[in-house]
Amino acid sequence: MDTTVYVPSGPASGPDPRREDAVASRARGLTKVYGQGAAAVRALDGVDVDFAAGAFTAIMGPSGSGKSTLMHLLAGLDQATSGEAMLGTTRLSGLDDGALTRLRRDRVGFVFQSFNLLPMFTAEQNVLLPLELAGQKPDPAWLDTLVDTLGLRQRLTHRPSELSGGQQQRVAIARALIAKPEVVFADEPTGNLDSRSGAEVLSFLRRSVRELGRTVIMVTHDPTAAAYADRVVLLADGRIAGDIVDPTPDAVLAGLDALRTLETSTGSAVSA
Amino acid sequence: MLRLTLAQMRRSVGRLTAAAVAIAIGTAFLAATLVAGNVLQRTGYDSVTAQFGDADLVVTSGAAVQDLDTVRDVPGVVAADPLLLGGAELSNGARTTYQMLLAQPGDERLASVVAQTGRVPAAAGEVALPATTLDRLDAAVGDTLEVRWSSPSDDGEWTEHEGDVTVVGLADDPAGAWSAYGGAGLATTPDVLEWSGEAAQDSVPAQLLVVTDGSSQVQADVTTALDDADVLTKREAAEAAVEQITGSGNALVMVVLGFAAVALLVAALVIANTFQVLVAQRARTLALLRCVGAVKRQLRLSVLFEATVLGVAASIGGVVLGLGLAQVALAVLARADTGTPLPSTIAVTPTVVLVPLLVGTLVTAVASLVPAREATRVSPVAALRPVDAPSVSARGGRVRLALSLLLVLGGAAGLLVAVAASAAQVGEPVLLLGLGVLGGALSFVGVLLGAVFWIPRVVSLAGRALATTGTSARLAAANTLRNPRRTATTSTALLIGVTLVVLMSTGAASARRSITAGLEDHYPVDVAVSAVGGAGDESVPASVAAEVADVPGVEQVVEVPTASVVLGDGTFVVLRAPDPAEAAAVLRDADALDRLEDGTVVLPAAREDTVTEGDTTVEAVGTDGEPTGESATLRAVHSSLGGVDAVVTPATLRGLVGEAPVQTLWVRLDPDVDAATTALAINDAVSSDAVLVESAGAERQQYENLIDDLLAVVVGLLGVAVVIAVVGVANTLSLSVIERRRESATLRAIGMSRRQLRWMLAYEGMLIAGMGAVLGTLLGLLYGWAGAAIILAGMGEMQLALPWDDLLMVLAVALAAGLLASVLPGRSAARTSPVAALAVD
Repeated sequence: MDTTVYVPSGPASGPDPRREDAVASRARGLTKVYGQGAAAVRALDGVDVDFAAGAFTAIMGPSGSGKSTLMHLLAGLDQATSGEAMLGTTRLSGLDDGALTRLRRDRVGFVFQSFNLLPMFTAEQNVLLPLELAGQKPDPAWLDTLVDTLGLRQRLTHRPSELSGGQQQRVAIARALIAKPEVVFADEPTGNLDSRSGAEVLSFLRRSVRELGRTVIMVTHDPTAAAYADRVVLLADGRIAGDIVDPTPDAVLAGLDALRTLETSTGSAVSA
Repeated sequence: MLRLTLAQMRRSVGRLTAAAVAIAIGTAFLAATLVAGNVLQRTGYDSVTAQFGDADLVVTSGAAVQDLDTVRDVPGVVAADPLLLGGAELSNGARTTYQMLLAQPGDERLASVVAQTGRVPAAAGEVALPATTLDRLDAAVGDTLEVRWSSPSDDGEWTEHEGDVTVVGLADDPAGAWSAYGGAGLATTPDVLEWSGEAAQDSVPAQLLVVTDGSSQVQADVTTALDDADVLTKREAAEAAVEQITGSGNALVMVVLGFAAVALLVAALVIANTFQVLVAQRARTLALLRCVGAVKRQLRLSVLFEATVLGVAASIGGVVLGLGLAQVALAVLARADTGTPLPSTIAVTPTVVLVPLLVGTLVTAVASLVPAREATRVSPVAALRPVDAPSVSARGGRVRLALSLLLVLGGAAGLLVAVAASAAQVGEPVLLLGLGVLGGALSFVGVLLGAVFWIPRVVSLAGRALATTGTSARLAAANTLRNPRRTATTSTALLIGVTLVVLMSTGAASARRSITAGLEDHYPVDVAVSAVGGAGDESVPASVAAEVADVPGVEQVVEVPTASVVLGDGTFVVLRAPDPAEAAAVLRDADALDRLEDGTVVLPAAREDTVTEGDTTVEAVGTDGEPTGESATLRAVHSSLGGVDAVVTPATLRGLVGEAPVQTLWVRLDPDVDAATTALAINDAVSSDAVLVESAGAERQQYENLIDDLLAVVVGLLGVAVVIAVVGVANTLSLSVIERRRESATLRAIGMSRRQLRWMLAYEGMLIAGMGAVLGTLLGLLYGWAGAAIILAGMGEMQLALPWDDLLMVLAVALAAGLLASVLPGRSAARTSPVAALAVD
């Protein structure tokens, strides 16, 4: 590794980025109900979970397990029916749209499955957009670090249509990190990529945690992708169904298999 | 396929609504115009019918007043009277007016004008007058007025006559038969003939009104008795008369229909835009249809069918709207008592309904032709490709570019030739005007055709300037360039309306200024108060200047000593000697007397060709026209001064003839007051003195008001096109919002506030509308100046004007419209949940 890597002094960087007791994001009794009456669906059902700062956590589960809903609530994209989602020490339930917008702008970063870059802007303009929206000047050293870490130096003046999927997603990661957010939420970041580009993107996410001291929470249904994380939280039927620390693909697969067995038999959580 | 088309329409109903609004406004305009034409015609028919009273037969031509007895002798004729309209100048003290007077028929069944109070005139020297005329003359029933007329004597010379008349009644025209003539009064037939100067003639041609006993034979008998005169029934006569007089009314309707055509053209652009977007959005569905076996023709027909259904539905709405508006306008007008009795309801004829319906549907269908062709170009493979956003990046082909350049260059050349030839006064003015209009129209079509090439570039430049102001603006600027064709079409729709508005406004301003300049040269003084009398050397009484100065609206009064002289070349001229400083303040053209100093004589522009500049001997002449022997040598200088009088300094005049009488007062009026009213007030103030009040200012203002009124009407009519274009801007923005739903959500997710998102749309709207307005303004200025240069070249000194107020207003309206157009799309964009950014389609 390059030893001259720039470590930021942003809000998320505590004394030790990998300190276990610092919690970046937290759910307490988090419940989300869609619809009403007979048509009501409990997407999340009293979830309690902590996500450590300076860690790379994956949320896994089968379709309909509520993993996307959990992320929406933690990121302040949606409001919970009951319970509490917290970013650091900030409770999200009481915030109005303006406050949520500022929170997303200043303290949260997003990486989307379909990249969602603005087609009329160059890669560099896309990366700098969150700062521009906030009316802030970019930190040139941090920008350099991101560009070099993500290997975007030669691509800065290109438009999204001139970039491959993997390159686009790397631009999106840089965009998510540029404001030095406390947490980066990644929603199936490899879903639209071939396996090589996917692996590349995942290692970049891991490097941003290990080398740049960021916190990443990733939703995925791909065990191989989940294995890049420091920890995997398993979700089923809107509840926490398991927790795997330092996962390997095999361990994740085993956990998922256990879930499937559970779905067919009884309903108690497994712990790997 | 049909069911599928309808299902697709239901899904796109919101998107189609804006297009429907555009076409509905256009057809409403068309329907209302046609209804107005009908009302105009019917009103004309009604008033003509009213003129005939209760006559059964009308002898429309081939008869004279002197034939009355012949007609009355025909068996079956109950009564017969001439329909004779004359006029005379009536005055009450200083107030004078010209009044149309109708010969009072002997039989009241033939009367169209009756006495509301008092009675109808029964003897010579009696008149009944409309209330407005009595007001104008400040007279009442029972007063005696002075009447003046002229008549030809045997040797062909016209001589003036004066007499007294008594107002015996208040004339009322209940059916509005004569409202087109400004109302008619009544007098006896001999008086009308006398005042028309026709009393001495043996045969005065006139229409004759006849009441019969109802037998059908009478018409033929009267015809025979009058030796083949045209004898028509009342109905036939009215129809024939309307045929004749609505020539001008139809021309008016034709002009308004021209404006309706502009509105529909703009609507067509809006529709073409909408369908282009719809086709682009449905690219996947269309490709899927192609995959499962739809042939190109079916797709094209599907789009055309959709357009036709939309066209019919929107046109029906438009016709209903237009008829409703016309009915409301009629009701308002009827209440506002215009003096013309209007029908209480509009007549819904097949033409009024079917023409707008057909035109509206046709315009919609034609506008969708290009998008329909695009629909067929969608490749079946597109269904298999993951499509993120439909992209239409076509900028238009080379043929279009070449055609556009050809039209612009050719048209501009024609326009330039016409301008140059007009300036050089060569060629027939009407032909040059035709060439100019043709050149202008062709080049404008070229500009519109080429819009897709150059508008995006201009918008990009403006956007780059705007982008420095913030992120929302930068995003907006980038967004306008994503679909150059759509931006171009949307801007073009507004550009058309703005170009025409500015063209009219610039042309009117130039015409106004040129006419004003011409009038100022002709009549450098607003009001002149001159001494009158036979001797020729009377002074204006000393008290008059103070009396005039006290009249509200008078800014300045200058006493002008005057003498008559003979110049060195033997020509006679009147010398005016106002104080130079005062003269500069009172003259409209203040620079005219720049070279006035002691020892010079400033000649009017009219003498420029006959008297050379330089020393000339000036000899004073007396009231008898003979030289008095007083003379001096003065230096003659030319000037732009209007009129025929020369100007010297008071000192120069004193040196020549000693103290000269103040024969005239020059009066300057406050430019904001009504000159005619003020002139009348001055007239009233000095009515006891022997002075004559002449007002050039009133004439100038009359011209200016006429131009202003015409301009207001034209701008109002073009306003409809601008409104449709604004609907188009809103439509384009909302379509963009729908297309960029995920992008908006992404922006919201990464920290854009709702406010910033709304502003982004607002900037985009203002950029599109503002550019349309700026470019339209530039084009309008060029065309307006070219048009003014061609039309006004013959009027001598031509002045190009820049109507700053109007231009700023156009820009402000365009920006406000762009902002307004973004309100609804902005709201819907801001409502997008950031969660949508995570969705995968």
